[in-house]
Amino acid sequence: MNMFSSCMITALVILTLPIIMSSTKLYKNKLYPYYVKTATSYAFMISMIPTMMFIYSGQETIISNWHWMTIQTMKLSMSFKLDYFSMIFVPVALFVTWSIMEFSMWYMHSDPYINRFFKYLLLFLITMMVLVTANNMFQLFIGWEGVGIMSFLLIGWWYGRTDANTAALQAVLYNRIGDVGFIMTMAWFLLNLNTWDLQQIFITTNDNFNLPLLGLLLAATGKSAQFSLHPWLPSAMEGPTPVSALLHSSTMVVAGVFLLIRFHPLMEHNQTIQTLTLCLGAITTLFTAICALTQNDIKKIVAFSTSSQLGLMMVTIGINQPYLAFLHICTHAFFKAMLFMCSGSIIHSLNDEQDIRKMGGLFKVLPFTTTSLIIGSLALTGMPFLTGFYSKDLIIESANTSNTNAWALLITLVATSLTAAYSTRIMFFALLGQPRFSPMILINENNPLLINSIKRLLIGSVFAGYIISHSITPTTIPQMTMPHYLKMTALAVTILGFILALELNLTTQGLKFNYPSNYFKFSSLLGYYPTIMHRLTPKTSLTISQKSASMLLDSIWLENILPKSISYFQMKSSTLISNQKGLIKLYFLSFMLTMILSLLILNYHE
Amino acid sequence: MSMVYINIFLAFILSLMGMLVYRSHLMSSLLCLEGMMLSLFVMMSVTILNNHLTLASMMPIVLLVFAACEAALGLSLLVMVSNTYGTDYVQNLNLLQC
Repeated sequence: MNMFSSCMITALVILTLPIIMSSTKLYKNKLYPYYVKTATSYAFMISMIPTMMFIYSGQETIISNWHWMTIQTMKLSMSFKLDYFSMIFVPVALFVTWSIMEFSMWYMHSDPYINRFFKYLLLFLITMMVLVTANNMFQLFIGWEGVGIMSFLLIGWWYGRTDANTAALQAVLYNRIGDVGFIMTMAWFLLNLNTWDLQQIFITTNDNFNLPLLGLLLAATGKSAQFSLHPWLPSAMEGPTPVSALLHSSTMVVAGVFLLIRFHPLMEHNQTIQTLTLCLGAITTLFTAICALTQNDIKKIVAFSTSSQLGLMMVTIGINQPYLAFLHICTHAFFKAMLFMCSGSIIHSLNDEQDIRKMGGLFKVLPFTTTSLIIGSLALTGMPFLTGFYSKDLIIESANTSNTNAWALLITLVATSLTAAYSTRIMFFALLGQPRFSPMILINENNPLLINSIKRLLIGSVFAGYIISHSITPTTIPQMTMPHYLKMTALAVTILGFILALELNLTTQGLKFNYPSNYFKFSSLLGYYPTIMHRLTPKTSLTISQKSASMLLDSIWLENILPKSISYFQMKSSTLISNQKGLIKLYFLSFMLTMILSLLILNYHE
Repeated sequence: MSMVYINIFLAFILSLMGMLVYRSHLMSSLLCLEGMMLSLFVMMSVTILNNHLTLASMMPIVLLVFAACEAALGLSLLVMVSNTYGTDYVQNLNLLQC
């Protein structure tokens, strides 16, 4: 009997304490953000104990606490599954959130509602923890919806701005479409397997799991911004930078991928769903990488980069490597959060300037931010032996040496080189060259809150890949032998992307701006997808409803068919055929006379 | 047809005369139409009851229904005329304009 479950529950309870305290005087205090940040750091340190125990001895735990209800034959209880995935993800998420909270103490310093901001961030973290440690689908759904709601509240933080409200609504709508898939899966499991518990789902056999896995895929498409439900993620950059760093890079958007990883025993034997996932992920990664090439807002470029990496994670699931996808989730959290924090530092220093065409020459002015941005970009593109290498290179190797869809593989490689291209673009425009911003700004990055938080994630970006991948137990056999050219593929396309982008940027620097070509317009208008889908679909449904409900039913069937047509017809025909004048009395009198005459005559016959 | 019904028959003839001969008000011919229907109803009911024609017992009720319908129609026409001219004098119905 060891302290595994106690430590984990303690860590989770520590997170909820500031929320409970929010009804007391502590919440009105100026030190509430410190309190939240230290609560998160303590939770991180305590949750490292069970993780160490898990790494050392491989102990997994399922904590089943409270029997909620029994619906005929199905028992619903609150249960936590502390296995490989949740044990490694929880410390990573807590570490990243700790750094982000420290960063947002600097970033949101002048916001009058900073206490409420921290409360929202903490609520988000709690629901994310509920999501990853859930042992049954109902608890997972609670966490799922919770992160969706907190995302809505946080994206619309500056609610006076119309664009922020629209973006928050867009996030909720797109997530909702994915939730339909989740509920369909829950309903299928309820009907066919009579349970929502993961254990029972994995041990019961069934002929095919196509329908629930399709539902899960739809849920992942919505939450993780895959191709057809993707526009909410770049629009979500309307929220403050800490929100983008926490939600839309490390934690919330990986919930969809995490769901698919949780259900990997079902997906292992289903080739159809794997192929669908692979193709969907490949399309996503290429499309969003293309869109990232021509964006001018630094946060949008990083958002599209996130979307592209999410597509890569889906590709990994599609080639039946869930553990690699999970490793990529953990490593991606580090450098993506750091990239967002660096861009937040740049934005704040330049007095809220987000357009990279108006930045430049920050290399000498913000040395620490420059360093971390470059290291983050290198880690993102998979520079050997930084963090991203341990997951991304393994993914590309497995994809290259597996019996899979060649088209999907090819476009994943193209997207990898485009990753290098847009990373070069960010670095070139934001950091190098001559300054293009107004010289009246005082730029100072010497705040310890900022420096410490980025420093922690910097060390994580450099070393975490090594530490994590050498601590975990190997679960699938990595591909050991492959030809030279396959091994060098990822590195080669990345270097190709770097060099090409650098050359293009340097060459076209002083040229006259020419009118955008069609390809440019395709990329910078995000493939026309938001333009089409946000206008066409509502207009179509509104037109159909107007035509069918109002015009067809009301006007035609209820008004026109019987009443108005009858009256119209009668009027027309009566004016047509009446050639009489009035003279009713004359007609009546003649009728009466005829009747009397006929009676008299016919009576007096012999 | 025996002479027992002559009373009712006379009522019918009188109402018919009243409907065909009227001076100025359209309303009077409508009233006489109602009188015709009433006398027909009584004659029909008495005949059926006296001759025990049981299966035809529903006919008076059907007659009443149709009489009500036609009374409604007649009244609506009267109202239309009255809306246009203010009174129901027959001399107004000289041009058949709808």
